[in-house]
Amino acid sequence: MGQIDLIDISKSYDKQKNVLDEINLSIEEGEFFVLVGPSGSGKSTLLRMIAGLEDITSGTLKISDKIVNHLPPKDRNLSMVFQNYALYPHLSVEQNILFGLGAKKVNKKEQQKRLAETAEMMGLSELLNRKPKELSGGQKQRVALARSVVSEAPLCLMDEPLSNLDAKLRAQMRIEIRRLQKRLGLTMVYVTHDQVEAMTMGDRIMVLNDGKIQQVGKPITLYNEPENLFVASFIGSPKMNMGKAVYSMNQNQLVIEDTLRIAQGPDMDDIPGNIDLTVGIRAEHLLPGTAENTTHHLEAVNVEQLGNETLIAFDVGSTLWMAKWLGQWDVQVGEMVPVHIDSGNFCFFDSNTGLLIKSANFVKEQEVVSI
Amino acid sequence: MKFRKKLLWFIVPAFLIYSGFMLIPLILSMRVSFYEFSGIGDMAFIGFDNFYRLLFEAPYNERFFNAVGNTFEFFAYTMVFQNVTALLLALALTRGLKMTGFFRTVIFIPVTLSLLMIGFVWSIMLNPNIGVLNEILSAIGLENWTRAWLGSESLALPTVALVNAWQYTGLMVMLFVAGIQSIPEEQFESAKIDGANAWSVFKDIILPPLVPVIGIVTIMTYMGVFNQFDLVYAMVGSTGGPNYAVDVLGTFFYRTAFGGAGGQMPQMGLGATIATMTFLFIAFAIGAFLYLSHVRKKGEN
Repeated sequence: MGQIDLIDISKSYDKQKNVLDEINLSIEEGEFFVLVGPSGSGKSTLLRMIAGLEDITSGTLKISDKIVNHLPPKDRNLSMVFQNYALYPHLSVEQNILFGLGAKKVNKKEQQKRLAETAEMMGLSELLNRKPKELSGGQKQRVALARSVVSEAPLCLMDEPLSNLDAKLRAQMRIEIRRLQKRLGLTMVYVTHDQVEAMTMGDRIMVLNDGKIQQVGKPITLYNEPENLFVASFIGSPKMNMGKAVYSMNQNQLVIEDTLRIAQGPDMDDIPGNIDLTVGIRAEHLLPGTAENTTHHLEAVNVEQLGNETLIAFDVGSTLWMAKWLGQWDVQVGEMVPVHIDSGNFCFFDSNTGLLIKSANFVKEQEVVSI
Repeated sequence: MKFRKKLLWFIVPAFLIYSGFMLIPLILSMRVSFYEFSGIGDMAFIGFDNFYRLLFEAPYNERFFNAVGNTFEFFAYTMVFQNVTALLLALALTRGLKMTGFFRTVIFIPVTLSLLMIGFVWSIMLNPNIGVLNEILSAIGLENWTRAWLGSESLALPTVALVNAWQYTGLMVMLFVAGIQSIPEEQFESAKIDGANAWSVFKDIILPPLVPVIGIVTIMTYMGVFNQFDLVYAMVGSTGGPNYAVDVLGTFFYRTAFGGAGGQMPQMGLGATIATMTFLFIAFAIGAFLYLSHVRKKGEN
């Protein structure tokens, strides 16, 4: 009842270039599934194909085991929330919410019952008689959500619904949407370009770039074991620090960006020496160096104090590496800062294919801790 | 506040031109309606005599009220033939077929044609004996639908109104299309997902934002019809068609002021009176329109 299967789905507008290329995906019932990627990656197009607002050029789309490629949107038993809310300006909030039910010829008593429940749930009971232009952004968003909820469709599609809200409201609505989905048991497909939303909301997420799937999996898996350079730099904030690496002449040092020299450790043994390497390390793994474990001294070129953490930028060859240290550290720009870099925290990528060779191995010991 | 007063000076040049070319001629014309004047020679002041004559004296008042009635009738026919059609076409072009340049051009071409040419060509096409329309009707077996389109008292007015509508539909289509295209596509998509039927989409999504456009179309049509002269003149002449059936205020004025085909004497004074009455009809309607617009705008806030 709400399970979606995409089999070899492709989409092109001009039969030349594919906007989406052979997407294969299964979304489970009751799952909160996030499609994330940069602008133009095809995520909205994919969502709209599931909705039935765009044609599927090739491939099969199944909802609840039924092939729906040619079914019009109203027969697919789904609801959709749009980025700009799509509220009807000349109808009141109440009429907006009930519009779909009227179209589906639900009887009046049932309509009122669902309206009362939903308005209560979404905190809209006082606003039913207002027109959309009298509402704030957050309120409009809740009306758009209410419209979805009241339809009682098991599948809900969301196209960047929080993009037009300010940061604080976004953080609040993220939680509300997640709770709503869990409470109603909806299968939700959520499109966003914001990786924070993806990480915090999804049961599973799919990173799309240029019409191709980059990786699908649990958010934390994509964070710890990114399958390629794109996912590694897309997920996580600040971005994963990257640098080109070569083995030094006598093969016992890794030289990153011609600046950092890392002594070869046992974790690097299975890395082939003859390919172009890119290494990546997360900002929180560029640790402050103590008297005993400092491996390098780096020049700080920028310091940002956020109150709970400090972000320090270091020049590493041609790139900038960010370190994230918990707490408030008194670091000045221009200071040579001692840091501790452990090669066990590196992810190794093939520069040419972009694919992961080896992920940071401390992760395997440090699986997400369960209480 | 002082700055605002200074800004008023910027209006002076435009106001002078407006006064010189519009306001003063209008007032002077209205002034002539208080005189007995044949167009040349002396003007004799007669107060409201012309107005009295127009409203109460036969045959003038018959002609006048006939012309007023015809003008309103013309307006009604035009609203239906022109504006309802335009709305339907606009809906078809934006929500139905793809809006191709071809359709856009074809629909708009009549707007660009010369009025006199249109009147002339159509009057030939509508000729009961040699005209194309009746020939086609006969050819497809509808012989008993053929008529003397411009010669029949009952048909002449609707026929001329139809030709007028044919010309200007394209313009109204453009206005409606612009209005419909300004509706965000997301609203239509949301309705698609809800499964709303075409009537519901029209009533709740398309029509409400189109109300101001409908208002503009209506007032433009009203003004155009009350100023109507050229087409009627081109198709049935200044006598206003068979038994004055197509005599609108424009042709009535022309005949009265400049003298008619039947050797009537020109009466500028009375003509000016007719022109003044026409102006009042238009001014009243525009006043009502502006008032209603203002009320609606206030209601929205």
